[in-house]
Amino acid sequence: MAYPAFAKARSIVSASALAFSLCAAVSTAVQAEPVKTITAWDQQTNASSSKILRDAADRFEKANPGYKVEESHVLNEAYKTKLKVSFGADQPPCVFENWGGGGLHEYVKSGQIVDLSPYLNKDPAYRNRFMKASWDVTTFDGKTYGVAAENAAAAVIFYNKEVFRKYGITPPKTWDELLHVVDVLKSHGVAAFSLANKNKWTGSMYYMYLVDRIGGPQVVKDALAGKGKGFEDPAFVEAGKRIQELVKAGAFAPGINGLDYDSGASRRLLYSGKAAMELMGAWEASTIANEDPAFSKDLDFMPFPTVPGGKGDARDLIGTVGDGFLSISTQCKYPDAAFKLIQAMTDEQAMQERASNDHKLPPVNNVKIDDPITQRLQKMLADAPSVQLWYDQALPPALGEMHKDTTQALFGLSLTPEAAAQQMQAAAKKGG
Amino acid sequence: MNIALSATPERRLRLSSQTLVTIVFLAPSLLLLAVFLLYPLVSSLRLSLLDWNGLGNTARYIGLANWAKLAHDAVFWQSLRNNVLLAVASIAIQLPIALALAVLLEKAGRGSRILKVLYFLPLLMSSVAIGVLFKQIYDPNFGPLNVALQAFGLDGLAKDWLGDPHFSLGATIAVIIWQNAPFYMILFLAGLSSMPAEVNEAALLDGASEWTIFWRIKLPHLQGTVRTAVLLSVLGSLRYFDLVFVMTGGGPEGSSEVMATYMYRTVFSSFQLGYGSTIGSAMFLIVITVAAVSMYFTRRYATEV
Repeated sequence: MAYPAFAKARSIVSASALAFSLCAAVSTAVQAEPVKTITAWDQQTNASSSKILRDAADRFEKANPGYKVEESHVLNEAYKTKLKVSFGADQPPCVFENWGGGGLHEYVKSGQIVDLSPYLNKDPAYRNRFMKASWDVTTFDGKTYGVAAENAAAAVIFYNKEVFRKYGITPPKTWDELLHVVDVLKSHGVAAFSLANKNKWTGSMYYMYLVDRIGGPQVVKDALAGKGKGFEDPAFVEAGKRIQELVKAGAFAPGINGLDYDSGASRRLLYSGKAAMELMGAWEASTIANEDPAFSKDLDFMPFPTVPGGKGDARDLIGTVGDGFLSISTQCKYPDAAFKLIQAMTDEQAMQERASNDHKLPPVNNVKIDDPITQRLQKMLADAPSVQLWYDQALPPALGEMHKDTTQALFGLSLTPEAAAQQMQAAAKKGG
Repeated sequence: MNIALSATPERRLRLSSQTLVTIVFLAPSLLLLAVFLLYPLVSSLRLSLLDWNGLGNTARYIGLANWAKLAHDAVFWQSLRNNVLLAVASIAIQLPIALALAVLLEKAGRGSRILKVLYFLPLLMSSVAIGVLFKQIYDPNFGPLNVALQAFGLDGLAKDWLGDPHFSLGATIAVIIWQNAPFYMILFLAGLSSMPAEVNEAALLDGASEWTIFWRIKLPHLQGTVRTAVLLSVLGSLRYFDLVFVMTGGGPEGSSEVMATYMYRTVFSSFQLGYGSTIGSAMFLIVITVAAVSMYFTRRYATEV
């Protein structure tokens, strides 16, 4: 009784094996004319930005027959999560946009990112087109892992010209002038600054500038390298004190730590005339032009003021030269082609389109800018002795979080500058 | 003898086919549970023993070091405390409100249908939409809440609701209660509708007041429902995430952090998958312990609702 059943089972097995091998034969037949797919992920979700990338992908496909670019555009927070999950699940995209700095370094340390130096060394003309500072952000231990693509941005102080004229004040160049402006505005019931610090990176901009103006650009680099007093350097403590001095002077519109930048809480204070200035990335100019074109006419910007006795150059900037960096994952099957795709996405045409159609400041030297605000910014970036990347992206991720948390607490006056510096240094010693 | 002999194998056959049917019909759900519940649970317990950023083969086994760190992590204890506060507020404020609404609506009968729909609305709205809406209401510069308070001359009460660590958790809990109370209202309404009308009529004939009827008849009838409601709101509070994430992100300064937002931040912002899994596993252990204990102590009130 058992035997026939077994025989039957065996015949089923062999039949399915046959079917399986047939399938395999069919699929190899299909593969004879392969389409090599390159996945490319970015967070450029608006229509014009994603079109620039798609057009570049089309140019790449035309120049490299047999390849197909499969792209996906996902917005900010969701993008970060998607990226992390895909790498964790061993199914990363081939080409992907990232922010450089400590976050990218985390991927590099885990052996997830292709070293682009060999490609770049072969093509110095391509390399030299980019603003020099853009490579600092993606270079670790002498090897370069990403190409700056989207936008160069620095934090500047935007201000309402009309309000300044009305109360007879001029843009402050020094800390003392700033405190004077704060007092004058306050006496007229206007807050000097609007700050939406629920998001934490917004308040961090004040801290980063103060550290630079007080101690110069080397302080944070040393702290990151574990040199000297690290994050307990007097410049960090002093920066915390200056922040609290501003808070106590009533420089900010109320509610800073609860206001949400993403829902426009800080800009609304500007529009309504309740606040006169905002320290923000240069992108704010185009956001404001979109949201409130009438207000945009009264808008101007100035660099962050100097601090008495400080070592920092008044032209130093905090920001990013590139904003979106393109990297290749080591699991990509066609890294050579992927690099060509990156080159297409950052070629002359793509960069010019970013400037002309997208109001961006592409991180290359040879692009023509029409918009006067962007022109001035381009000059500032070119003249800056130092452009320090945002701490939350420059620092290792856990330390970046700690920096944002302690800075928010400084604004909330619930942490002393000394304690904040100690917490940072303790976390940095543990390796972030 | 003959009959018995032939009957036995037949019954055995039927039994085994019944077992087979049971297995076949349970298999899909057991499989789903194993894949989507059991596996993640076990795997996050495993991850909690690693020092890993979640990328590539860089994981390092560090035994119970993450758990030791958790035991001394002030932020975690603060977030657990916030979860407990949320649970207490849910039981002490949310459930009585829901119960009062249910009793009043039931008393009002058919005429209250429009109110039922109105009260039910917050539950139908997406948490993100509610979060954004209340961020506007709480806004200290433009928000209608502070404008109204100032209009009544109560300037002292117009606080920086979400930006001041003293108020952020309370302000968020108020919205959570506003959103979830309708769910418990429906639960209590369902419980009340199963109460025989004769009991109520008999009590009225005997001259019992509404108050007495509520305390002596309606509430005892709802015992099982109340137990379910308490259990659900405690477990829901311990696992809570969405409105806190949208409204305050756990801030400022961790004042409204709950375990789930802390876990999210640790994994996705700080790149600490190992430690984040420890927080997640601890959260699971806490929730399952609380659930087991409260089910054990309230088992005599067990009903279907």
